[in-house]
Amino acid sequence: MAGKENREGVFTEAKDIVNQLAVIIRTAAIHDPGNIAVTTAIDKFIAVVNPLILSERELLLELGGEFFYFNEARIRYPLEYLPNFDFLVREFKKRGLGSIIFRDALESEDMQGFLRAFITSASSLEPFETLAEELSDVGSLSVGRLRKIREEKKEEGASNVRQMIKKSYFNAVSYTRGVISKIKSGEKLNIKKAKRVVESMVDLILEEEQMLLGMTSIKDYDEYTYHHSVNVSILSVALGQRLGLSKRALTELGLVALFHDIGKIEIPNEVLNKPTGFTDDEWHIVQKHPFWGVRAILKMKGIDATAARAAIVAFEHHMYHDLSGYPKTREPLELDFFSKIISLADQYDGMTSARVYSRIPMPPDRALSLMMERAGTQLNPILFKFFINMVGVFPVGTLVMLDTKEMGLVYQSGAIFLDRPKVMVIINSQGERVDKYVVDLTEKTPDGKFVRTIVKTMDPNKYRINLAEYLL
Amino acid sequence: MELLDDIKAAREIIQALIKAKKTFRLYPETNPMYAKTIEDTNVKFRSFFDYRDELTFKIKQNEIFCDSEQIYSSLQREDNLALFFFKDGLREITFKKGFSVKELEDFLKILTVDYDREVLDDDVVTLLWERDFQNLKYVVDEAFLTEEEDYESEAIREIKEKAPEADELTRAYEDSFKEETVTDAVIVPLTDKDLHTVVKEIEKDAQDKTGKLITIIFEMLYQAENKSEYEDVVHFLNSLIEYSITHGELEAALNILKKTKEVSANRSVAEEARKSLNLVFSFLGFESTVKLLGELLDSGLEINEKTWNDYVAFLDKNAIQPFITILGELKSIPARKNVISALISLGRKDMPGLAKGLADSRWYVVRNIIYILGKIGDKAAVEHLLKTVNHSDIRVRKEGIKALGELGAPGVFPVLRECLNDPELQIRTAAARALGNIHSTTAKSLILQKMTSATFAKTEFAEKKEFYEVLSRWKDGDVMEFLTRAFKKKTFFKRALNDENRACAAYGLGLLGSKEALPLLNKEKDSKNKLLREYVYSAVKRIEYGR
Repeated sequence: MAGKENREGVFTEAKDIVNQLAVIIRTAAIHDPGNIAVTTAIDKFIAVVNPLILSERELLLELGGEFFYFNEARIRYPLEYLPNFDFLVREFKKRGLGSIIFRDALESEDMQGFLRAFITSASSLEPFETLAEELSDVGSLSVGRLRKIREEKKEEGASNVRQMIKKSYFNAVSYTRGVISKIKSGEKLNIKKAKRVVESMVDLILEEEQMLLGMTSIKDYDEYTYHHSVNVSILSVALGQRLGLSKRALTELGLVALFHDIGKIEIPNEVLNKPTGFTDDEWHIVQKHPFWGVRAILKMKGIDATAARAAIVAFEHHMYHDLSGYPKTREPLELDFFSKIISLADQYDGMTSARVYSRIPMPPDRALSLMMERAGTQLNPILFKFFINMVGVFPVGTLVMLDTKEMGLVYQSGAIFLDRPKVMVIINSQGERVDKYVVDLTEKTPDGKFVRTIVKTMDPNKYRINLAEYLL
Repeated sequence: MELLDDIKAAREIIQALIKAKKTFRLYPETNPMYAKTIEDTNVKFRSFFDYRDELTFKIKQNEIFCDSEQIYSSLQREDNLALFFFKDGLREITFKKGFSVKELEDFLKILTVDYDREVLDDDVVTLLWERDFQNLKYVVDEAFLTEEEDYESEAIREIKEKAPEADELTRAYEDSFKEETVTDAVIVPLTDKDLHTVVKEIEKDAQDKTGKLITIIFEMLYQAENKSEYEDVVHFLNSLIEYSITHGELEAALNILKKTKEVSANRSVAEEARKSLNLVFSFLGFESTVKLLGELLDSGLEINEKTWNDYVAFLDKNAIQPFITILGELKSIPARKNVISALISLGRKDMPGLAKGLADSRWYVVRNIIYILGKIGDKAAVEHLLKTVNHSDIRVRKEGIKALGELGAPGVFPVLRECLNDPELQIRTAAARALGNIHSTTAKSLILQKMTSATFAKTEFAEKKEFYEVLSRWKDGDVMEFLTRAFKKKTFFKRALNDENRACAAYGLGLLGSKEALPLLNKEKDSKNKLLREYVYSAVKRIEYGR
């Protein structure tokens, strides 16, 4: 987990360079690159970037997933830089641009040339090729295609990473089991352990977001409560990370999410595990669990900042964006930011799992469609946009048919194209079961067409497909 | 650098860390020892890094190794550096050449934290993780996070076993041809406005959450259905008050109380709920709560006077005794002033309760209680205060006499008359002043009685002067006549003593301020007796110029 080498501090100016790059691109989108507004911004950019180019000899600005890296060191940035960083991520992805390599000290003309090429390439059918071609005569910088470098490296250690992710995931499930059993028996809890479990997940989200998100698609009906708590925690941390929360805030978010449903332990098992619908009385009991959650948390931990946060979320996580859920409050309440995040994660994982209110889980893509209908009423519409950008249009675990007549399960969501994930093929184009193999839907033929495209989605539960068998 | 030198340098770093761990606990950051410790430890690191780029400590339960060489070993449970790291799962720490002084200081701070405190939710690894060191790497064993051994493989095995006997992949494949083709996936782009909204929301999110939690706890009260749920709500409100006080947020505690009062007066809230809230006000007077309040007062944090007064208004009489207890423990004067003002307010609700504090074993507490009883001004306090006149500590006696003078009930005269003849000068003068404060005819006659006694003329000049000063508070004919007579009095024998008395009378006439006394005083302005001459001069000036 922690301790992974990080050269962030080496480039203290890195965040300013990326921020300034976003500024000049934004300015150049309005004015001609020769305009004084643009050239002034370029001068500022050059002033910060050139000393670094000279000291490092070569500077590689690279996009990996949602993050920028400078010579392999991930660039972290303060909250106020979020809009510019996010803008740049989108602009890079739009062009299939993965990296810019700065080799020599930049001149203003070099950057003006880059900006012209960058702006023009946006409207090209082959944006990356256009950009690369236009920059071919600029010696001081060149560009690389998106994901090549990082992805290759990722694949090398992917197997080990997957093992590590599985371990962290099941550590968290095991810890949650322990927590619930301890609360039931009135034992004292070790919050230090909970923090460590969450920190481990935060690290994985920062480095291997998609793989850890993939783990949330594995559902275990018998262990639903524990898996659900961990899944909501992972989904929340991942969403929080997309929103630009700090590591410390992510830990608090993950911790709070882990305990969001703790009130349910007071619901009698005969109600919780009832195979048919609830009576009014039973529904009344179920709706008390947010109150019991507050009580359990405050009794378990006493009052401090984290306990207050956890209690608030335990109380609000079913209230919905438009407050149409429960509990109904006597006094008006504005939902906590964490409650909004966790409520999204809770709904998504709840819908896609077999659980007490709905015995038949929904396929992930259908759950997202339903959630989209709820965005603006039950769900915060802006956070939902971030959420769908995170899990992709076809989340991990979706059963899909490709235009090649191959059938498979979405294995990893698309980092660049939300509708082009990696798919684990389990039936080939002849309709025969095969040893699973993974295909990347962003793969193109030499004439620039996608090799495979999703044409249909199916419900894996309807056909009793055990995702664990394929994805674990 | 030879291997042995390596090991030696690594050992020296370990020893420096152990020493720093102790020093950091003893000295605050402002102490020169603090800076020196960092400097000394840094020197050890630098000398190592002169030759090597990385230093790795491998950690076992009771030992630390460097390059397979043991460089530290201890079997102790306390102050065992290896165990300190090991117990939280740390198995390896690597310092890189760039390890800066700032990083070293932060690392030493992490070493110094008292992790055994229950309130602390962090362990060493969490703090290292949060600090995110640039030049320090570590390896942890997370096995201890798992509640069950080998849970992972067991869980995976079970999940896989739950697979249906045969899935229906082939049927799914066939059915898929009948399914509708997916339309273009809806991708919702994020706009700059979305991002700005989120940034604003995150900024807003940094606010304290206690206010929100209070609202939720009251919601729990409204929807509580049984006694146990009411009790929980009260317990949480009490804990929140405690938490606010502990964190120096008296205003937050006050808000809880205001809300509690508002709800308890709201008839639309269930009666049982409203009744249960009374327990919150009682909680304020618990010894533990008042003790926390005392710590807050003594912390040096500025307390807004209005906030304090408003908070005190919520206190019930059960807070009196705990407040008396902390009154004797507080170190700062402003803290004691605040407690005294609280006790003045509380004493009005339960004066006998407050008077119990007069039996406190600490003289300074008794003195404060007397002062408070005097300030309350309830004449019923006299019966309690009378006893204090015989207290073993003279400071208490003086305060008691003073308070009796302030209260001035008829019952105080016999005691004060007795005090006028007390062997202690301070008690006699205190009694005189107290009678002066009472300012009644009886008080005057007691003073005059004393001043006309055979022995009075022979008492010390300072005491006599004090009595004349007290007497001059009655600006009436009797006093004028008494002073005139005393001033005019002449003797053949013991003339110096008589002039001393006349100087006191001149002082008294000056304080009376009547111009009628000027001709008489002027007659003695050239007196041969220096003392008399000076006092006459001062008295004339005072009458003529009002000073």
